[in-house]
Formats: sequence, C-alpha cells, structure tokens
Amino acid sequence: MFRRVLLVLGVAGAIGAIARVRGKGEVVETTEGGWRELDGPEFR
Amino acid sequence: MTVALVVGAGEIGTRAVRQLLDTSGFATILLADKDTSRAKAAADALGPSVHAVEYEPGEAIPPDVEVIACALPAGIDHEVIAAAILAGVPVASSDDEHDALEQLRALDQNARSSGVTVAIGCGLAPGLTDVLAVHAAALFESVDEIRVARTGWAGPASVDTVRHERRVPVRAWRDGGWREERSRGDALVFFPDPIGGRDCRVVTGSTLLLVDAFPNVPRLSVQLGEPPRRTRFRRRFGDEGEWGAARVEVWGQRDGSHGCVAYGVVDRTAVAAGTVLAVVTARLAGVIGPVVKQPGVQGLGVLVEPVPFLAELAQRGVRSAVFEGVPVA
Repeated sequence: MFRRVLLVLGVAGAIGAIARVRGKGEVVETTEGGWRELDGPEFR
Repeated sequence: MTVALVVGAGEIGTRAVRQLLDTSGFATILLADKDTSRAKAAADALGPSVHAVEYEPGEAIPPDVEVIACALPAGIDHEVIAAAILAGVPVASSDDEHDALEQLRALDQNARSSGVTVAIGCGLAPGLTDVLAVHAAALFESVDEIRVARTGWAGPASVDTVRHERRVPVRAWRDGGWREERSRGDALVFFPDPIGGRDCRVVTGSTLLLVDAFPNVPRLSVQLGEPPRRTRFRRRFGDEGEWGAARVEVWGQRDGSHGCVAYGVVDRTAVAAGTVLAVVTARLAGVIGPVVKQPGVQGLGVLVEPVPFLAELAQRGVRSAVFEGVPVA
C-alpha cells in the first residue's frame, strides 16, 4: 500500500514538473525592431 | 600617483579593483573587508599594487588615501562616507537600497560644507541608467516620463536588496510629487538579447536619484526584476543573476510629436556595477579626464557628463544599445 502511494505521488510530481517546464515557453516581444549598439554620433 | 581605498571585497568591490588596476594613475589600491582573509585572498590574486588593509566602517580613513570606492551591503557604507567627509576625501558608493540612499543624502550638507564630492548609486541601475536617462532626455524638447528597469544582481547582498525593495510599499513619483502606491505586481519588460522579456515590478528603489536629476519630469519610475527562485526548474539564461540587464525608456515631445527613446545594456551585473564604480572613482580622483568636483551627495544623473562617461564605459566593454523600432507605451 505504502509503495503504491509513493508511486502515485512520484508519478504526479513528475507530470507536474514536466507540465511546469513545458508551460513556460518563450516570451515574444510584441514590438517590432531591434537593439543597436550606441556608437559614433551618440558619443559626440 | 593616486592611492585609492576600496571598501568591500565582494562581487562589485573586486571588479572595481580590477578596473582601477587597468587605469593608469593609481599607484596603490588598498582593499578592505570585514572578512580580512577574503580581502587578503583577493589582494593576492589581483597583484602587487593591491594591498589588503584592516579597516572597518566607522574608523578614520587611513592616511594618504585620496579617493574611496564603497561596495558594501545596503546601509553599511554610511559610516565610511561620514568618515570620508570628515577626512575631506571624495567617495563613490554602489549602494542602491532606498532607505540607505536617503540616509546618504542626509549627509549632503556636511559634504557641501566640507567641499567633498560624494557620488551615490554607482552601479548598473542606479548608476549607468541615470546617465543613459540624461543622454536620452537631451534628445527631447520636453520629457514627460522616464522608466528605468533592471534585472540581475551582483551577489547575495544584492539579491537581499532586490527582495526587500520588491516587498515594501512603493513610493512613486507621479505628477511631480511623491505618492504611496500599492504594488501592481509584475509586468513584462523587454531587455536586449539574450536576456529578453523579464517580469519586473515597480519599486521605490533609486527613484529619488531620478527626481534629483529630473525634478520637472512628472512621472519617474524604477522597476526591478524577480530575484532567483529556489528551484531548479524554469531556469533561463540570466536566471542565476550573474548576467543582468537594464533598460531606460524616456518619453517626451520632439519634432512636434510624442515619442520614446529606449536604451538598454546587458552585462554581468557585478562587472557592469564594478566598472561604473571604478570609472566614477577615477573621475573623482581626476585620473580619467578632468576631476569631477561638485561638493555634496549626488547621483550620477547630476554628477556625470553622459558622453565621455558612456564612451569610457564602452572602451572598458560595458556597451549600451538603443532600441530601434516601435516600443509600446
């Protein structure tokens, strides 16, 4: 009985961890454009 | 040749010493830490020009010291700066916690009457971001909002400060005055790659330094990113805090229309903060360019000329970027 409870908890924990990692996903910026290093005219 | 005292041999302090070593004009760098063995180990590793000394906050400044850099946990540098003012020695501090900054600003009259320049908030944000804000604001005819955001922390003391700032009630600068606000929780802020989007929350933090530099701007805010969670899951680049980023958004009127300039920087947080602290220290000593002498306790937005300062940082590898696109208000 104890082993079964442990097994169920273990499986539930593993599924939860996988779902948490998969659910994070990448955040996509909603703006258009990009970053350019400050140089030249900006330093004058 | 100048003798500098660096107080604090942690993440930022040791990086500042390394930068000072790369600056010709410093004969000797004295390094002090409450953990003397740590200061000695760092001094041994950094070379023969660096000497570990026994100095504790509250003690008189050692003789021959001409400039001081403080890289201590929040609040501890107050006693060092008070002693520096008494000794007539200029000092730069990397402290970024709101209450600690208030306490340091309370020394302003003492510093002015003693003719001592005290630079506070010398790190990534506050520090570099204040200078970027001044640089961006110069592009506008009138500025109506400045938002500063930072993610990343330089060490355990820095993480503690970020957690504290995110937990306490917010005093925000709205419509030209201070207002108590309930936290509105986290919102996504986009930093330059590879940091990208991070949850950040409005905090009081170093807003008062922005107010000093921009007293006529109606809305000023500082946001701090979420500190590391005690979990091994959901880790992304930069989550461990070694890498950090800052973003400065300045909104205002130019050429007859409302617009925004966004500057950003990505670097190892301790490296960026240590470099800013070292460059300010060198400027206070007159080792790089003309000596910065403006008695009082001030942030970098008031104290530093943006262009040569940003150029010096870029030369040392701390490079800022501008966002070219259409940011969302």
